[in-house]
Amino acid sequence: MINENTNAMGILFPNSYDKVVPELVSERLMASIPFASRYRLVDFILSSMVNSGIDNISVLVRENYLSLLDHLGSGREWDLTRKNGGLNIVPPFAERNTKIYNGRVDAVASILNFLRRQKEKYVIMADTNIALNFDFNKLLETHIASGADVTVMYAEQEIPENLRVKEVWERGLYYTFELDGTRIKHIHINSQKEGIQNYSMNVYCMGREALIEEIHNAFVHGLTYFERDVLSPQLDKLNVQAYRYDGYFARITGMKSYFDENMKLLQDENLDGLFAGNPIYTKIRDDNPTRYIEGAAAKNVMIADGCIIEGEVENSILFRGVKVAKGAKVKNSILMQDTVVEEGAVCNYLITDKAVTISKDKEMKGTESFPIFVPKQHTV
Amino acid sequence: MAKEMIAMLLAGGQGSRLYALTQRLAKPAVPFGGKYRIIDFPLSNCINSGIDTVGVLTQYQPLVLNEYIGNGQPWDLDRLHGGVHVLPPYQQASGSDWYKGTANAMYQNISFIERYNPQYVIILSGDQICKQDYSDFLRFHKEKNAEFSVAVMEVPWDEASRFGLMVADEDDKITEFQEKPKNPKSNLASMGIYIFNWDILKKYLEEDEADPNSENDFGNNIIPNLLRDERRMYAYHFSGYWKDVGTISSLWEANMEVLDPAHSGINLFDDDWKIYSRNSGLPGHKIGETGVVENSMITDGCRVNGHVKHSILFAGVTVEEGADVEDAVVMGGTVIKSGAVIKHCIIAENVVIGEGAHVGAMPTDSEKGVATVGSGVYIGDNAKIGPNAMVRMNVKDGEEQ
Repeated sequence: MINENTNAMGILFPNSYDKVVPELVSERLMASIPFASRYRLVDFILSSMVNSGIDNISVLVRENYLSLLDHLGSGREWDLTRKNGGLNIVPPFAERNTKIYNGRVDAVASILNFLRRQKEKYVIMADTNIALNFDFNKLLETHIASGADVTVMYAEQEIPENLRVKEVWERGLYYTFELDGTRIKHIHINSQKEGIQNYSMNVYCMGREALIEEIHNAFVHGLTYFERDVLSPQLDKLNVQAYRYDGYFARITGMKSYFDENMKLLQDENLDGLFAGNPIYTKIRDDNPTRYIEGAAAKNVMIADGCIIEGEVENSILFRGVKVAKGAKVKNSILMQDTVVEEGAVCNYLITDKAVTISKDKEMKGTESFPIFVPKQHTV
Repeated sequence: MAKEMIAMLLAGGQGSRLYALTQRLAKPAVPFGGKYRIIDFPLSNCINSGIDTVGVLTQYQPLVLNEYIGNGQPWDLDRLHGGVHVLPPYQQASGSDWYKGTANAMYQNISFIERYNPQYVIILSGDQICKQDYSDFLRFHKEKNAEFSVAVMEVPWDEASRFGLMVADEDDKITEFQEKPKNPKSNLASMGIYIFNWDILKKYLEEDEADPNSENDFGNNIIPNLLRDERRMYAYHFSGYWKDVGTISSLWEANMEVLDPAHSGINLFDDDWKIYSRNSGLPGHKIGETGVVENSMITDGCRVNGHVKHSILFAGVTVEEGADVEDAVVMGGTVIKSGAVIKHCIIAENVVIGEGAHVGAMPTDSEKGVATVGSGVYIGDNAKIGPNAMVRMNVKDGEEQ
C-alpha cells in the first residue's frame, strides 16, 4: 500500500470517570463535555488517533450517550466515514448481553467477535477524560521496540486532592505505577500518596490477539476491571511497560479541574501545547464570526464563533453562540454554548452549561476554589 | 428522476478588477465577511431555497475553487442524485473550447442539465453578496406563466446608467432591455440572476451557438433575442441586500457593511438563513492581556494582542502587541507584527506585515483609496504602502510604495 495506515485500531471508553463531574454529565457523558471554547473532550483523543493514521475506532458507550451520538454522527468531521473501519459506535445493547457494563472487561467482551474480524495487529485503548494532541505512533513504536505485552501511558503528576478522599471507589478507580526501569512492578489503586506519582493516563497499547485472549479469560472468570483484575495480578508474567508522556495535556478529575484546565488555555504556551500540532476536529455548527459591538471590552479571553459581545469579558472562556449584553460583566467564567448574559448582569467564577440565561442585573459570584455551576437550560 | 429546477452558477470570471486578490484564485473564491468566500452566498441560497443540484461553471484559476467546493458537504450538497458539480470546459469529440461567453459556457453543458431533465433552470452569478430565496423567485415565474424572468433591483436614477436595465410595464412584463444606456428609461437594474424554462433556454442556446456573429453572452445576445421574439419575459423585484463585489472598493465596502447589519449590511446572524462555509477547524480566538477590540468581527484561530477597530479578521490572523488595525479587512493566516499600522485596506491571506510597517491610510477628502496587499506577500519592517497601492510582490524593509 502506498499510504500505509498505522497498524492499530482504537477503542474509546467515553463513560470513564463520569462520576467525578456529576454536574456536567447529568445529560451527557465524559466524552461530550464541552471543552476549550468549541470542542468536546472526545475530539482530542479522536483527532489525535485520526492524525496518527488510526482510522478504525470503536467507541464503547455505556449510558447517557445521546449527546455523543449527536456529536459524532457518522464520524465525517474526523474523516472516519470509511467503508473499511471508520467510526464504530457500540451501544450496550448491540450484542447479546443487554446489561450495562462495568469496567473495561465487560465492555471489550461485548465486541470480542468484532475484534476477531479486524485486521490491525495492535489496539490502542483510551478514556476520554484527557485532552491532548499526540502522535500515537510514538507509543506504538515504543511498544513494538520494547517487545512488551502491554504498554501504558502515564504522566508524572500529583494526584488531585479531591480524589484522595474516602468513598472514591464510587467515582472510578485511578492507578499509579511502581517502576523498575520502564517495566511496571506494581500497580497502586487509588493511592493516597502525596507528591509526584507515576499517574496512569489509562492509554493502553497491546496486540489485538493478546487483548482478545486476556479479555476472554477475564470475562469467563467474571472479572471486571482490566487494571485491577487483569494486569495487576499478572505483572510477573506479562511484560507491562510504562510510557512516560511529557507533552501538554488536560485531565478532568472534578469540577475544579474542569475549571482550571479551561482557564489554563488562556496562556499561549498551554494553548499552543494543545493546538499547535495537528488540527483538532469537531462538529461544525456554521456560526458566523463573533461580533464585538461598540462598547464591548475583552481582555484575556478565548471566544468561539457565533458570539455577540456588547458588555465586558475578562479571563473567560466563551463557547459558541454566547451573548453578553450591554453593561454585563463576565469575569473568570466559563460560558457554554448559547448562554445569554443579559443587561447589567455580573458573572464571576461562574460555569454555565448550555443555553443558560443570566437575567438582567443578576449577580452571580463564585470563588476561585468553588465556581458556581448553572445546569443546562436554566434561567437565573 | 427529474428535478423541478436546477441552478447553474457562473463562476468563470477572472475578476480582473480585484487584481492583487485574484492572482491565484477565481473571483467567487475570494474570501468575504470573516469566514466565508463569495461563492458561499449563492450555494447557501440554493440549499436554503430547496435547490439541491448546482452546476458551477469554472474556467479561470479553478484550483482553489475546486478544492473549496470539494464534494459540497459543507453546503449539504453532497447528494446521490444531484448535489454540486464543478464544470470546467472539456475536450469533446469535435474539438475543445474554452468557454467563449456566459451563453457558450451554458451551451457546452447542455448534457449536464439534461441529465436532470429540469422544468426550470436558474442562472446565478458568482460575484454577488446577497441572501435571496430563489423559491420565491420561482413562485413569481410560475405565477406569471413566464418563459424567462430576471431578478431586478431598483437603483437610484442618477446611477441607473451604470447598469443593464429592464424596462417593464405595470404587470412587470419586460418590454425593453437597455445595457448601460446614456438615457435610462427605467431604474430596474438586472442582478444577473435569471430563471428560464429549460426548453426555451435550450432552444436559444442552440440558436445562439449557430450564430457566428454572436458574442455568446446572456446580456448581449440571449436576452435581446428573447425580446425580439416577444417571449413572455418578466422582472422579479428584489429588495434585500445585494452587492456586486467586483471591485476593491465595493469588496471593502461590503465587508465593512457586515459590521452594521442594522443599517446597510447583510445580516449574517440569521438562524433561518444560514450561510454555510468550509470550516477552518481552528480553536476559538484569543484576545490577550493587551488586546483591544472595538466594533469588529473576529473568528476562530485569531490572536489579538494589539488594537483592532472597526475591522474584520478572518481565521488564524495574528495581531501582535502594539499593532494598530482600523477599517481593515484582514484575510486568513495573516500576521501583523508589533508596531505595524494597518488602515482602510484589504490584506489577503497569509501575508506578513513587518514590524512598524504602515499599510494604507484613513481616507481624506482628496484620497479615498483602499490599499490592497495580495496573498502570501511579505511587507518588510518599517515599509510604507500608500492608500492606492496594489501590492502583489514582496516589499523590502523600509521601502515605500
